[in-house]
Amino acid sequence: MAGHEVRPYYVPVGNEEHVFTAAFRQGLSLLLKGPTGCGKTRFVEAMAYDLQRPLITVACHDDLTTADLVGRFLLRGGETEWVDGPLTRAVREGAICYLDEVVEARQDTTVVLHPLADHRRQLPIDRLGITLDAAPGFCLVVSYNPGYQSVLKDLKDSTRQRMVAIEFGFPTSDVEEKIVACEAGIDHDNAAQLVRFGNAIRRLETAGLREVASTRVLIAAGRLIVEGLTAREAARVAVVGPLTDDAIVTSGLVEMIDAYLTGRVD
Amino acid sequence: MVNQALALESMRDLLTSDTEVDGLERLGLLASALFGSPLQVASLESGEPPWTDGKTVFIDPAVDWRGRLQALAVQTSLLAAGSLAPEIVRKLVRRPGLAKRYLVVEGHRALTANDQLLPPMVRSLIDCEIAARSDSPAESLALAQRELQIPDPPEIFGAIRARTLLASRAGPDSSTAAGEHVPRQQSSKKLAEVDDDENEGAGAGAGAIDLFSSPVGGGGAIGKLLQKVLGVVRQLGEGGSPGADAPTHRTRSGARRGANFVLSTAREGAFDDDTDERHGITYPEWDVHLQRYRSNWCTVQEVEPRPKADDTALGLSDAYGLRRPLARLGVGLARCHRQVQGDDIDIDAAVEARVEVMAGTAPDEAVYLDSLRRKRDLAVLILLDVSGSVAEPGAPGQTVHEQQQAAAAAFTIALHDLGDRVALYAFHSQGRSAVKLMPVKRFDDDVDTLVMRRLRGLVPGAYSRLGAAIRHGAAVLERDGGTSRRLLLVLSDGLAYDHGYERVYGAADARRALSEARQRGTGCLCLTIGANTDADELRRVFGGAAHATVPRLDQLSAMIGPLFRSALRSAEVRRRTNTGAKPAAREGE
Repeated sequence: MAGHEVRPYYVPVGNEEHVFTAAFRQGLSLLLKGPTGCGKTRFVEAMAYDLQRPLITVACHDDLTTADLVGRFLLRGGETEWVDGPLTRAVREGAICYLDEVVEARQDTTVVLHPLADHRRQLPIDRLGITLDAAPGFCLVVSYNPGYQSVLKDLKDSTRQRMVAIEFGFPTSDVEEKIVACEAGIDHDNAAQLVRFGNAIRRLETAGLREVASTRVLIAAGRLIVEGLTAREAARVAVVGPLTDDAIVTSGLVEMIDAYLTGRVD
Repeated sequence: MVNQALALESMRDLLTSDTEVDGLERLGLLASALFGSPLQVASLESGEPPWTDGKTVFIDPAVDWRGRLQALAVQTSLLAAGSLAPEIVRKLVRRPGLAKRYLVVEGHRALTANDQLLPPMVRSLIDCEIAARSDSPAESLALAQRELQIPDPPEIFGAIRARTLLASRAGPDSSTAAGEHVPRQQSSKKLAEVDDDENEGAGAGAGAIDLFSSPVGGGGAIGKLLQKVLGVVRQLGEGGSPGADAPTHRTRSGARRGANFVLSTAREGAFDDDTDERHGITYPEWDVHLQRYRSNWCTVQEVEPRPKADDTALGLSDAYGLRRPLARLGVGLARCHRQVQGDDIDIDAAVEARVEVMAGTAPDEAVYLDSLRRKRDLAVLILLDVSGSVAEPGAPGQTVHEQQQAAAAAFTIALHDLGDRVALYAFHSQGRSAVKLMPVKRFDDDVDTLVMRRLRGLVPGAYSRLGAAIRHGAAVLERDGGTSRRLLLVLSDGLAYDHGYERVYGAADARRALSEARQRGTGCLCLTIGANTDADELRRVFGGAAHATVPRLDQLSAMIGPLFRSALRSAEVRRRTNTGAKPAAREGE
C-alpha cells in the first residue's frame, strides 16, 4: 500500500486539490461525490502521493460489518488473536483511509466512523476495550455516487455532517481530451472525437439513460483504438455495450457512433 | 430500477414510432443528445424542407446520411439555443421573408453555440462570419429585420414553421396559455400571408395596438372585442405583452417544462389527511392523454366485507407448498450463535470447544457469532381483484375468482405462519367516485375463521379501477406495514376497466401507480392466476413490473420464490433524479 513511484496522473478540474490539502492539514474528513468513472479514486491516489501518506482503500459492500473495518479476534490454537482491520491499521499508521462507495456499507457500520470523523479523531475498539487516537497524517476519505443508490441505504445525515464534501463532475472537453489522450496513449484528434461523442451521450441522461459515458469508458475505448480497433468498433464495445442491454436503445447509440466517429478509419 | 424501467420505456419511445419506414427514428437519441431533452425524429414528404415543432424533428428521408445529420443538427441546435422561443417565433408568423433571414443568422449562431456537441461532419456548415454577427435570438431577429440583403439559407437549414410551432407549444400546457392570443391567431388564418416588406414599421404599429391589451382590457371582453374589431392578430414590441394575460417570460425551456413535466416522486395528493375515511380517501390518477395527474380524482372507500358462514376448505393445502420458497425471503439481520465464521467469538462455544480439546475429543469449530439475514422483515399487502371479469371460467372447472381466492388464502396463511406482516384487501369499483376496497384481513388481524369467511363471502362484480386500488394499497402498506421491506401483491386478471377508464388509459394509470409505489420502496408483484388474458395486454397493464402468469394454482409454489425476490430487489434500488434538474424523462405511452 506504500504508494506509487510517480504521481498518478490526475488533472485538477477545479480547486479540489487545494481543498483536499487544506482539509488534510486540518484533520477533517472528506466526502467525494460524483458519478462513476469521473476520477474520484485516481484523485485520492494522487493526493496520497502528494501528501506522502500511505493509502488504504476499502471497497464497501452491503455485508461490510464493523468488524471488517476495525478488526476481529481469531482463534489460533487455544489462544485468541486480535487482527487489525484496515481502518484500525490506517489509524495506527496515520494513513489515508479511503472507503469507496460508502453507502453500500451497512448503516451500523458507518457509525463507527463518527468519532474518527469529528474533532475527537479517535477509534474506540470495544472488543479490546481501548480507544486509539488517530496518528498524525490519518485522513478519512469516503466516496459515493449520489446518482444511483438504494432506498434502504443512504448516508446518514449525522455521518455527512462530519465531512467536507467535494463534488466531482466530468471534466470540461479540453481537459478530458487531454486526459483521454494521455491515459489511452492516442493522438489528440482521436481523443477529441471520443470526448465529443461522450459529451453527446451525457446529454442523454435527461432522456433516460441510467448511467452515461464516463471518462473511464472513453479511456477504455481509446486503449482499444491503440490496439488497432477502429474508433467505431472501440466505441461500440467499450462505450455502448456497457451502457445498455436494450436492442432499440443500442441501435440509437450506434447511430450516434456513426455520426460522431466516422470519417476516419484508424 | 423502477425509474430505469420507466426511463428505458421512454427512451424506446423516442426511438420508435408507428410510421417506421426508413430508420430515421433511430436518430432520436442523437437528436435528444444535441437538444438536451427528449426529441423524436420523423420523416416528411420528399422535397420538403426539414423543420421541427419542438417535440419532433422532421427530416427528408431521401437525402443522404450526411444531409440528414446536418439537417438534424440545425434543427436541434435552433431548439437548444432558444431560437424557437415563442416570443421570437410569434414575430415570424406570416412573414416568410423575415423568417428566412432570421434562419440564416440564427442558424449559424445556434450551430456555433452548440459547437461543442456537433458531430464533426456538421461543423463544416457553420459560417463563422455570419455567426459572429449575433449573440442572441433577439439580436438575430433585429438583424434580420434591419438588413434585407442577407442571402437565403442553405437548403439544409430547412424552414421555421412559425404557426405550427406556436400551436404545438401552446397545446399541451393550455393551463398557462389560457387567455393567450394563440387561438385568435388560428382563427385569423384566412388573412393572407403578407411579406414583411409591406410590413415595415410594424414594430411601431404593434406598439400602438398594444394599448388594447392593457392589463385592464387585454383578456377582458371589451379588450377581446376591440382586438377582434381592429383585427389585431399579432403582438407586440420587445419584451412581450404588457397585458396581464400574456406570459411575458415564457421561454422555450419554460414551455417545455410545462408541457412535459412529469412528477416522478408521486407523493402528490396521495392522501388527503383531512378527509374522513368514511367518505373515502381521494387519490390522483394519471391521465396518459394529458400527460399529467388529475388530482383528487378517485375516491376510495374501505367497506367491510360480509362474511359467509360456509366452512368448506379453501386452498389450505397450498399454504404448505408456498411456505418453503417464502421462508427463504427472510431478509432482516439477526445475530446467530455458533457459526463457522463470523465477526466475534461466541464465548460459550469457544469455551466448550476448548474443554473438548482438553478432554481429547474433536472440538466443534463453529465458535463465532455472525449477523445473518434470517430475521423476518417483510410486510405484504395482497390486493385481490373481485371485479366482474374474474367470474369468468379460467382453468377447467374453476372460475378465475375461485383460483385467485385460493391463492390469496394460501399466501395469507403461509406468510402469516412465517411471521411476516400480511394484509389482504379485495377491490372493485364503479366509476371513479366509488372505488371500494374490502379489508378481508388488516395487518393487525389474526388469521382466523372470520377472515376465511370474509374471503369466501367475496362475490365478483362491477369493474376494476386498478390504479386507485394500487395507490390505496400502497398507502396502507406504508402506513401500517411497519417493516423496512414492503411488497404489494396484486392478484388480478389484468383487465383494468371502469367508467372513463378504458384500456389504454387504465393500463397507463395502473403502470404509473405501480412505479410510484416502487419508487417509494415498495416492491410490486402482479400475478395472474388461471386467466386467459393475453400476454400483450398484461404487459401493457403491468409495464416493466415483476409480473407473472400462473396457469394453474399448483404451479405457484415453484415460481413464487424468484418472483418475490426480484420484486423486492427492484424496490430497493431507485434512481434519484437531481431535484430541480430537468424532468427525468417524459413518460410516453
